[in-house]
Amino acid sequence: MHADTNHAGASRIVASRIVYVVDDDPAMRHSLAWLIGSLGVPVESFASGEEFLRAVRPDQPGCLVTDVRMPGMSGLELQDTLTRAGSLLTVVVITGHADVPMAVRALRAGAVDFIEKPFNDQVLLDRVHEALEQSHRAWEEQARKDHVRSLLARLTPRERQVADLVVAGKPNKVIAAEINISLKTVEVHRHNVMEKLEVGSIADLTRLLIEAE
Amino acid sequence: MRIIPRLKCLALAGALVGLWVGIATAAEPPIRVGVLAYRGGDHANAAWEPTVRYLAERFPERGAEMVPLDLPGMEAAVQARTVDFVLTNTGNYVELEARHGVTRIATLRSSRAGASGAAIGSALIVRADRTDIREVGDLKGRTVMAIDPDAFGGFQVAWGEMLKAGVDPYRDVKELRFSGFPVDRVVFAVRDGTVDVGVLRACVLEELAAEGRVDSSQFRVLAPRTSPGFDCALSTDLYPDWPLARLASTPEELAKAVVVALFQMPADHPAARGGGYDGWTVPLDYQPVHALFRSLRIGPYRYLREVSLVDIARAHWEWLVVAALALLWWAIHSLRVEHLIKVRTAELRSANRDLVREMAERRRAEETARERQKEMDHVARLSILGEMASNLAHELNQPLGAIANYARGCTRRLEMGTGEPAQLAEITRAIAEQAERAGQIIARIRNFVRKRASQLEPMDVNEAVRAAMSLCESRARGDGVAIVLTLADDLPPVLADTVQIEQVVLNLVVNALDALEGAQTGAPEVTVRTGRDEAGRVEVAVADRGRGLTDEARSRLFDPFFTTKPGGMGLGLSICRTIVEAHGGHLWATDNPGGGAVMRFVLPAAGKAQPVGNEEQHHAR
Repeated sequence: MHADTNHAGASRIVASRIVYVVDDDPAMRHSLAWLIGSLGVPVESFASGEEFLRAVRPDQPGCLVTDVRMPGMSGLELQDTLTRAGSLLTVVVITGHADVPMAVRALRAGAVDFIEKPFNDQVLLDRVHEALEQSHRAWEEQARKDHVRSLLARLTPRERQVADLVVAGKPNKVIAAEINISLKTVEVHRHNVMEKLEVGSIADLTRLLIEAE
Repeated sequence: MRIIPRLKCLALAGALVGLWVGIATAAEPPIRVGVLAYRGGDHANAAWEPTVRYLAERFPERGAEMVPLDLPGMEAAVQARTVDFVLTNTGNYVELEARHGVTRIATLRSSRAGASGAAIGSALIVRADRTDIREVGDLKGRTVMAIDPDAFGGFQVAWGEMLKAGVDPYRDVKELRFSGFPVDRVVFAVRDGTVDVGVLRACVLEELAAEGRVDSSQFRVLAPRTSPGFDCALSTDLYPDWPLARLASTPEELAKAVVVALFQMPADHPAARGGGYDGWTVPLDYQPVHALFRSLRIGPYRYLREVSLVDIARAHWEWLVVAALALLWWAIHSLRVEHLIKVRTAELRSANRDLVREMAERRRAEETARERQKEMDHVARLSILGEMASNLAHELNQPLGAIANYARGCTRRLEMGTGEPAQLAEITRAIAEQAERAGQIIARIRNFVRKRASQLEPMDVNEAVRAAMSLCESRARGDGVAIVLTLADDLPPVLADTVQIEQVVLNLVVNALDALEGAQTGAPEVTVRTGRDEAGRVEVAVADRGRGLTDEARSRLFDPFFTTKPGGMGLGLSICRTIVEAHGGHLWATDNPGGGAVMRFVLPAAGKAQPVGNEEQHHAR
């Protein structure tokens, strides 16, 4: 399943991307894993939402393919749980054709897509691929946010105050007057901010702080 | 023929004998005299030869010869006319006279004959010391001995006397024996006490006494009577002695000549002495003999014994009338009975026809009812399956979807050249398994909805429960309801229709799932439990934690067309109860302690009770 592939979509997928399959029907679970495995991504399968939650940390990136109808925890409940936990997993819900209202609920709850049985294999694989990409993007974004936050965490409160005022476009004199410090001191703080946040220009500083919002 | 004798008569009246001799000389054979030899030819010769010789001497030209004959021979000779005259005993003569028209021309004159000339009678003797027998009537119940049934004086005369006294020797005496000759046997038997009474020709006793062979004082004669001139002891009337008779064919002249010759025999003639008689006399009257024989119904009167129907009719006409009336009554009665039987038979036949028709109608009605029940069962199964159609479609989609996934996974790997043969083989096996799974689901559905007649066989209720589960588990999964099975593993088999029991279980479980829909419970579940009740019956209980039963629902639960479901037909439970009761079981509802309802049914274990209905399988296809 980790084999390299010539497939256009699959070539960009990195090894860390993973697909999880949750279905109570063993044959369906196994066959889904087999089909999705043809993408060349690792696939892990679980018989129930509870089992999945016990095994997988929700902050991992990846794609979750789940059947909506299951005894115990349903596919929608699993999705809710993950969303509440701030999971980066992208969820693809598989429904029977009679379960359209459920699918709508799933979409509203943030699932990337729902697939109605019986489904076209290419559609499923595209959705899974898309979901992996989306999850990966979200993960990268998250990672960047985390990085920005860690940079910002280096600033002292006074430095952070100066940075915000700089981004707001205020000249050093005005800053010194507003926070009642010397112009010299403002200049020192400003230098330290640029240093600590590893930016070279006011524009970069501004983008970074917006990202951190 | 008449002229010739008459001429002879006229011409030769004076010299009758001479003329006779002249004619005889010409061609005539000897005069033949048939003599009854009742004691054998020798005795007859000794007694009667002198008499015949006397005749021969009187007819020297012709001669005479004696023909000794027994009784049958006598009759035959007379009939064949081989004799001219017969000399026979009184009884035999009477018979020949009656039958063959012989005519007596002279009667023997006995030396002891009475004044009338009659000389034959009977003496009934007893031993002198037998004072208990005095009258002829005393013979009843005694043993009696006589010479011979054909002996005239030696039995027949006494017989007549006995009848007059009211004693039939053939019926009323203890025993009647015939000694045969010699006659002294009778005397000795009486003397020796071998018999009570002896019958003798009158004078025999005296003759034997004269010969010194018996002592007459040892005997006594019963009912002694006297006859003038007859000096022997006598118990009866006297009858004429032996006659000489001519045949009807014997010429008148010859008869006349013979009579003359006999009448001329002197009393002391050797012939008379040899025969023990005193010569011949005019023929006596034998009418008393006829009277005697008629009363005895013997001799010529034997025919009187052969009683004719007319005689009976005349003698017993009253009885005949009674019998005729009885016969008439019987005939009428028979006709009436026959008529009644005919009427009753017709009634019965008509009743039978009615009965047959009624039975046919009832059978038709039962068949219709059974057919209707079958339809209802079928509709109910279709209905419950229809309610679950989407679930069943989902159920079927599982293996089909799996197959599609497997196949496409294979295709993609093959296209990319990444498929490993061992892996692909494993997956194709899985494909086959799933295809089989799909086929089984279809078969189960088909089996369940097939229109079929009930078939009873010993079955495991747990199997029916599992089969029902296979049809409803996808529904339960869809509802997120867990079905918990608690099946006892020691259940006795029940005699039931597997599909019908499956239908009941499925219906109850689907009802439970329906009851759970929308119910806010933490972990929705339906429990199916099998086991045995106290009576040893197999019990199935389906419990839910749903809304439970309202009072109205409880009272109308099993009514047809009662339903609490928006899309329900209301037939399910009604038909479930019909099915269970047809298997001899019972279906009822109870509250589940803590909320919800429990539907239970029991079925008798196989062999313990027979189902009350649906046992006919003749229309099974």
